Amino acid sequence: MEKKYNIKVGLTGNPNVGKSTLFNALTKSKQHVGNWPGKTVEKKDGYASYKDKKIHFVDLPGSYSLTAFTEEETVTTSFILDEKPDVVVQIIDAENLERNLFMTIQLIELQAPLILAVNMLDLAKKGGIEMNIKELSILLNVPIVVVNARHEKGINELMEAIIKKSTNKHRSKVKLTYGTEVNDELKKIKEFIKKNDKRINDNELNWMVIKLLEGDIRIEQKLTKKPYCIELKSLVEKSISHLETIFSRDIHNILAETRYGFIKGLSTQIVKNNKKSKNNDISCKADCLLTNKFLGVPIFLIVVWIMFQATFVLSGPLIVWIENLFEFIGNHISIFLESIQTPSWINSLIVDGVIGGVGGVLAFVPIIGILFLVISILEDSGYMARVAYVMDKLMHRIGLHGKAFIPLILGFGCNVPGIMATRTLETKKDRLLTILINPFMSCGARLPVYALFAGAFFSAHQGLVIFSLYLLGVFIAVIMGLIFKKLFSHGLSSPFVIELPPYRWPSITGLLIHVWERVWLFIKKAGTIILAFSIIIWALASFPVGVDYGTQASYAGQIGETISPVFEPLGFGNWQSSVALMFGFAAKEVIVSTFGTIYNVGDGISFNTALQNNFTPLSAYSFMVFTLLYIPCIAVIAVVKRETNSWKWPLFMIFYTTTIAWILAFIVYQGGLILGFQ
Amino acid sequence: MEEKKSLSQFKKGDKVRVLSVNCGRTLSRRLSDLGLFEETEIEIIKNDDFGPIIVKILNSKIALGRGEAIKIYGEKI
Repeated sequence: MEKKYNIKVGLTGNPNVGKSTLFNALTKSKQHVGNWPGKTVEKKDGYASYKDKKIHFVDLPGSYSLTAFTEEETVTTSFILDEKPDVVVQIIDAENLERNLFMTIQLIELQAPLILAVNMLDLAKKGGIEMNIKELSILLNVPIVVVNARHEKGINELMEAIIKKSTNKHRSKVKLTYGTEVNDELKKIKEFIKKNDKRINDNELNWMVIKLLEGDIRIEQKLTKKPYCIELKSLVEKSISHLETIFSRDIHNILAETRYGFIKGLSTQIVKNNKKSKNNDISCKADCLLTNKFLGVPIFLIVVWIMFQATFVLSGPLIVWIENLFEFIGNHISIFLESIQTPSWINSLIVDGVIGGVGGVLAFVPIIGILFLVISILEDSGYMARVAYVMDKLMHRIGLHGKAFIPLILGFGCNVPGIMATRTLETKKDRLLTILINPFMSCGARLPVYALFAGAFFSAHQGLVIFSLYLLGVFIAVIMGLIFKKLFSHGLSSPFVIELPPYRWPSITGLLIHVWERVWLFIKKAGTIILAFSIIIWALASFPVGVDYGTQASYAGQIGETISPVFEPLGFGNWQSSVALMFGFAAKEVIVSTFGTIYNVGDGISFNTALQNNFTPLSAYSFMVFTLLYIPCIAVIAVVKRETNSWKWPLFMIFYTTTIAWILAFIVYQGGLILGFQ
Repeated sequence: MEEKKSLSQFKKGDKVRVLSVNCGRTLSRRLSDLGLFEETEIEIIKNDDFGPIIVKILNSKIALGRGEAIKIYGEKI
């Protein structure tokens, strides 16, 4: 038997070509497919076995070109050049052949060990486009496999091709000629580098020189270490300005024109029967409605409203069922532990601490699952890109454009991916602004808190009350956006260019994989952070020895009493709230588990009654407002630190969100009192 | 001979030959990656007289901010 070894494969391609779907089909891994540009912002790993080979797949961020203007765009090129994968698979959307081939040309110039996987050939056929794949493979001198990522067809053929390619040193011989003028300049630079650097091989050099002309930041960074860097730079600049005067246009355009010229020639040879499909397909009809100048925004609001209603209506019965289950388990464990005469403190730890705390949070699994399901449908169907289009004008008012709206919507699920998605924004200021207002998008972890309080105090109007909190979050985000815009003197935002992909039915497997991933994360969080905090809080509520569980005399009570004066004017000066909010910094669900632990759920009086004894409807609302706005959780702070690369912004975020939370809750509570609410 | 206008002035359904792209280096580079540069032909899919416009470049729909569209000129074909 042949020795087992690892083949490393990079998956690359334009956004929306089914790259992540193919990744799922190849690796059966858990990773999310998005139908809006720039979804995979980090590379993702997946593994597969085929025959006796083990293959390591790396899903690279979708991009239109290999020339890097921003840090994020260097990922693909760096991967190919530095990590030297055995095979690079570019997924090609047959409906969009020409634009996809633009990247193919660059991959060939880079001398990547390339295979093309042509996807969506069936859709192209439906649109009247027939193409000769064999001919294309010959002309490009690159192996091509036809796949159907959605229906997992052609996967074995692709695997075979990958294995074949991994041992084959052949690279495409296709070489683009950029015309005499450009070639002369390329040659000049090439000779200069060769003279100064003997170790560089020819393949790498060809690529490097083209990229130098294009102004690729990665190559420039790489060369700054070389001793001849300054001389080289001035040579390149001279070449560029020389060419730009001759052609009287940007150097990048000159090169793009040549590449597209070459592609045009290819496609006239291999694309046959190119009937112009009429523009009245379903996608266009849907767009007429969804991006309508008057209806676009209202339809979006209705969609969000339906999204929340669906989340609550569908999850309601499931939540009750899980709550009952935990009560049942708690009671039986309690009886069992008493029967084998375990010390009462162990009984209390397990029933009050663990089951009360963790169970209180796990009850909200259905809400989380359904919320993420709905968000995934919006993303995968292609509607999210339309939302960016529709919201662009409104977003301009706060100094951002429509693309910045997507990270905000993702924030409704969880602020961490929301903040990571800001990487698709081009300027630093845009990113910072979007990051700073992201935590006001009420995330899924805050939902259990609202569900708990709204259920106890506003059971008749639960949906409405919770919706009002989401709206308040958005409103505050807009206000803060305006303020930051003034503070940063943020005039021009980065250009708004976004592809509107065709609408597609989300694949059920893709959706389920994503929902399961999020639900599993939530359950894991309940089993780790929330469990740990439940035990800490139980301990604080039980000690010092001799105090009654969960009373003011316990440590928890003492800590709470110390902090609570701060919250007195907001209507929730009880010590339990202070403790819950303090620990809510770890994860917002901990607020629920803390109340669960302290109020000792499943023991005589119900959770709701316990809450009703400590809050009025007005103070409950004020508490929810504070929960919505105050310090985002520790995971968000960590990701802000990572993304802004400084401690300044996360610390600022902690301070300013909490200040705003206090002021808003104060206004709600005191204002409510004046208006005569209770 | 059709006159030279900015993309924001064309109407839905117009087929346009791009004459000049005067919007900053970064954007013009991005657009050329997508297949929009001088001498290419595009189609206006949607123009609401406010907000972004939608154009068809090669075979895909691209939304383009109004501020950007104003700086791209073309003629109707």
